[in-house]
Amino acid sequence: MLLDIFDPKAPPQAIGIDLGTTNSIVAHVRDGRPVPLTTCDGSALLPSVVHYGVEGSVLVGQNAVAYATRDPERTISSVKRFMGRAANDAETTRLGAYKFVPGDASVVRFDLGKLTPSAIEVSAEILKSLRQSAVDQLMQVGGAVITVPAYFDDAQRQATRDAGRLAGLEVLRLLNEPTAAALAYGLDKQENGLFAVYDLGGGTFDVTILLLDDGVFQVKSTGGDSALGGDDMDREIAERMLIAMGANSQQTRTAEVVSIALEAARRAKHALTDAAEVSIELPQKGGGDVLFSVTRADFDAWIEPLLARTGKACRRALRDAGVSGSEVHGVILVGGSTRVPRVRSYVHEMFGKEPLSDIDPDLVVAYGAAIQADLLSRSSDEVLLLDVLPLSLGIETMGGGVDKILPRNTGIPAGAKATFTTYADNQTGFDLHVVQGEREIASDCRSLARFKLSGIPPLPAGFARLEVNFHVDENNLLSVRAVELTTGISQSVEVKPSYGLTDDEVEQMLIDALDHGESDFELRRLRDAQVEASRILLATEKALDTDADLLDEAERARVEQALSAARTAAASARTASVVENAISALDDATHEWAGRRMNRAIQAAIAGKNLGTVEQSVAHAAGIEAHLAKHGER
Amino acid sequence: MTVNPFEALGVEPTYALDLAVLEQRHRDLSRALHPDRHAASGAAERRMALGRAIEVNESYRILRDPVRRAEALLALRGVATGEGKEPPASSAFLMEVMERREVLADVRQNKSEVALDRLIAEVRAQANGVEATLGREFASPSSNSTEILKRMGELRYYRRFLDEAASIADDIL
Repeated sequence: MLLDIFDPKAPPQAIGIDLGTTNSIVAHVRDGRPVPLTTCDGSALLPSVVHYGVEGSVLVGQNAVAYATRDPERTISSVKRFMGRAANDAETTRLGAYKFVPGDASVVRFDLGKLTPSAIEVSAEILKSLRQSAVDQLMQVGGAVITVPAYFDDAQRQATRDAGRLAGLEVLRLLNEPTAAALAYGLDKQENGLFAVYDLGGGTFDVTILLLDDGVFQVKSTGGDSALGGDDMDREIAERMLIAMGANSQQTRTAEVVSIALEAARRAKHALTDAAEVSIELPQKGGGDVLFSVTRADFDAWIEPLLARTGKACRRALRDAGVSGSEVHGVILVGGSTRVPRVRSYVHEMFGKEPLSDIDPDLVVAYGAAIQADLLSRSSDEVLLLDVLPLSLGIETMGGGVDKILPRNTGIPAGAKATFTTYADNQTGFDLHVVQGEREIASDCRSLARFKLSGIPPLPAGFARLEVNFHVDENNLLSVRAVELTTGISQSVEVKPSYGLTDDEVEQMLIDALDHGESDFELRRLRDAQVEASRILLATEKALDTDADLLDEAERARVEQALSAARTAAASARTASVVENAISALDDATHEWAGRRMNRAIQAAIAGKNLGTVEQSVAHAAGIEAHLAKHGER
Repeated sequence: MTVNPFEALGVEPTYALDLAVLEQRHRDLSRALHPDRHAASGAAERRMALGRAIEVNESYRILRDPVRRAEALLALRGVATGEGKEPPASSAFLMEVMERREVLADVRQNKSEVALDRLIAEVRAQANGVEATLGREFASPSSNSTEILKRMGELRYYRRFLDEAASIADDIL
């Protein structure tokens, strides 16, 4: 067995990570149940805070929090808000203590003097710390599922995946946080029906409507606001505290003063969960202290506009799903900000029922991620998550408008084609701009990528036909391919993502991060290739057990030969490329067979179920489905 | 899309599809094809599963949509479809359209959610009526593609109207 190259007592264990704005958590499944792993702070919650010392040290968690007021500019918190964004975004420049490296339009870089870490690298430090905790407790860590807000756009997802890779994790999957929470609840309660997940975290708000039906978690719609969360509640309090402190002007609001106010605001918010009123002593401009008092009623009034924004997103999600609030069977609360009493009562009023919160709202997402990681690594078929595209994908038209290629809430994986033609005689290049969002004007949407199609044969205007294919995979990540139809030649597509890092940059950073650069990197590649190989060998052996009858004798011999060659390569190769080549040869040998097996699976899905089961499950689904049908899904 | 969506989902090529059965079929096929089911396999098989899953999802989206379902059926009959291919609408229909437009403009101005919901419900009911007619037309042995195309034009109009109403709803919610 290939697994023998590792310690046989410690097979690699898949982990789930909730990379949160305020706190991050790593969990795994032990004896069939998700449990959190202890982070370097000695508890389940690791504050998502990173401190970069002047002399080059990097601290994560409570150790970094200790520097928040002393050294605010070098202590980075809520880095999630900067993922997939640029330094000049409105979101980036809100109340906060950081300086950014100007000029880099594609990625946020914190200006720390000699060091200029990007948001991706800061997140990678948090992930590295979690990974190390997992390694300490589990010995061998396999793949990881990392959660993202459902409302994250493509750039934010790519950035998260890159952070995972930089931290040395094999990212099995990016999972939407609400879907993860539903998975944790659904498997726990074993209930079917329509659920809403209300997820108010530190910096993001998501609402997801999903249908649970015998292990299928089908997302009907999702909505939210990727720039709304508990941090905004803190800012509401901090803003008033700053005034009380005499810090009215931009000049008096130094990084240190702002950071003191934000920290005090957070403490006041937490205290108001149980107390009706809190008083906090704050340093005043020009010396002395001032006593700042806030009642829960004040606080409730201050956050009402924020709650109204969540309400709007909820109504829109319900509308998109074609259901009303009263049809929702249960509302799941996620995120630390749902501890605020007014948030709970607001959700209660909106859906007309007491929300569920029996799983710790801080841990529920990590639990779901751990469950999904476990299911994926075991190739289990108990559960299936059917998710949707959160924001429409489109292409900028000649007039600066948007041609929507895939509308929001399309089930993923999804694909679509669009055909374009040249507008000038002998035009040989074509610029395409891919955007994401609901606005009608391209410049109001998120720019995802610009593509230059080149090498179009010189033809009169309107003759060349370019077909552009969009693919959104199960991670909600977009890829684009283009073909020129008159020649049938697949044209080179030059991808320039508007935000984030290129693959080459990530690889170079990985090499730089390792002590022995190239040689360590090669070693890691070899190890990754071996893990991948062991997985594919197992899958192929399993397929031979069940579907060998779909091979004739010669084909079977070819498969067996490629299989044994791959086994040998994985066990004895010294370089990654030898393993990779053997696996790709196995891929070639099994390609046609895989097609036949898939056809068999499709036939089984269409015809295989006996009629009784089909009728039963159809009758079961009829309640909500009949309703959806009646409301005519768009 | 070159794939026959009815074949991809393994259902009869008829207009009056039972959406609950369709949803169940989509789910069964997803169980077999979703990339998560092939996460452990080689790259080629994963790509293949992804492609098939996309086909099934796209077919499901087409068949769930009353206009695109009609287009898919006409495509099987070799009838060209698309805006501009449909015969001009009747004057009665155009009158109705103009009246509803006025109501929608009022709703937009007054930001009245109740009035908007009522308008949406009315137009949905109209659209459902046209869908029922289309179902009969497609099923009839003497079905007439001019009549079908005319109904499709009406449905297309209703859909655009509902899209517009939904975007107004986004603004006033």
